[in-house]
Amino acid sequence: MPIQVNRGVVGREYPPFSVTLERGKIKEFARAIGDLNPFYLDDEVGAASEWGDIIAPPTFAVTFRDERAGAGALLRDLGVDIARVLHGEQEVEIVRQLTPGETYLCRTKVVDIYEKTGKSGPMAFVVRETAITDRTNEIVATMRHITVVRL
Amino acid sequence: MKYAKVYFEDVKVGDELPPLVKGPIEQIQLTRYAGASGDFNPIHQDDEFARAAGMGGVFAHGMLSMGFVAQATTDWAGAGTVRKLGVRFAALVRLKDVVTCRGRVLAKSSKDDVNLVELEVWAENQRGEKVVTGRATVALASRA
Repeated sequence: MPIQVNRGVVGREYPPFSVTLERGKIKEFARAIGDLNPFYLDDEVGAASEWGDIIAPPTFAVTFRDERAGAGALLRDLGVDIARVLHGEQEVEIVRQLTPGETYLCRTKVVDIYEKTGKSGPMAFVVRETAITDRTNEIVATMRHITVVRL
Repeated sequence: MKYAKVYFEDVKVGDELPPLVKGPIEQIQLTRYAGASGDFNPIHQDDEFARAAGMGGVFAHGMLSMGFVAQATTDWAGAGTVRKLGVRFAALVRLKDVVTCRGRVLAKSSKDDVNLVELEVWAENQRGEKVVTGRATVALASRA
């Protein structure tokens, strides 16, 4: 008997949250991937660059998390256990590079839920979008995140 | 030479990115990525949990593989050039897997002094199975 996901979650906007980017977190993230690009890790290279500081790797914005707006909150709202979910797809769009010391505001919204049957059985695809803005409310990045729920 | 700058004029449709080989994947890297990213889903850490979930054991965070693909892209195009990266996680990456990231130039365009290169990007495991497929758009400097 397949489980049901709560489709009423479509359209839900999670509480906005702010993040102040820490220099050490950028370096820790780049090293965890094994990406030793000096533009992420070397303060002197960063200072001499067009951005005036080190920048974050392209996928860094996924580290912007908040208890009330993250995967945990989504799973509670869907009524789904964490053991049933997989990461299906991810997209990032970068308008401006993320740099240390900047404060960003993140707003996440559930934009769609659809179901498909794959070779491992029925699955629900939950699509979330996150907009990341700076202090002047300009968009710096957006993310589109598709979570797959094994039904 | 690894971080040499590539200019828009020097790129041709069909050009391939130098392959980036990552791994073999070890548990310690998944634990480290969990700490760095904040994704502590036990399915990437706890083999018993992953088996009970029907996944046959732990597997890597999709975002780690996407990070590898991003690295292959920026190793070639340069840090700070990625405008867009979109991927699908096509198969699981397991412990001991070796992940090779590849890419190919699909198109070039210039508009308002911005020079964009569209890439097909993907990652495959040691059996040649695609684990990540996707597209990237990078903005490159002009020689002019």
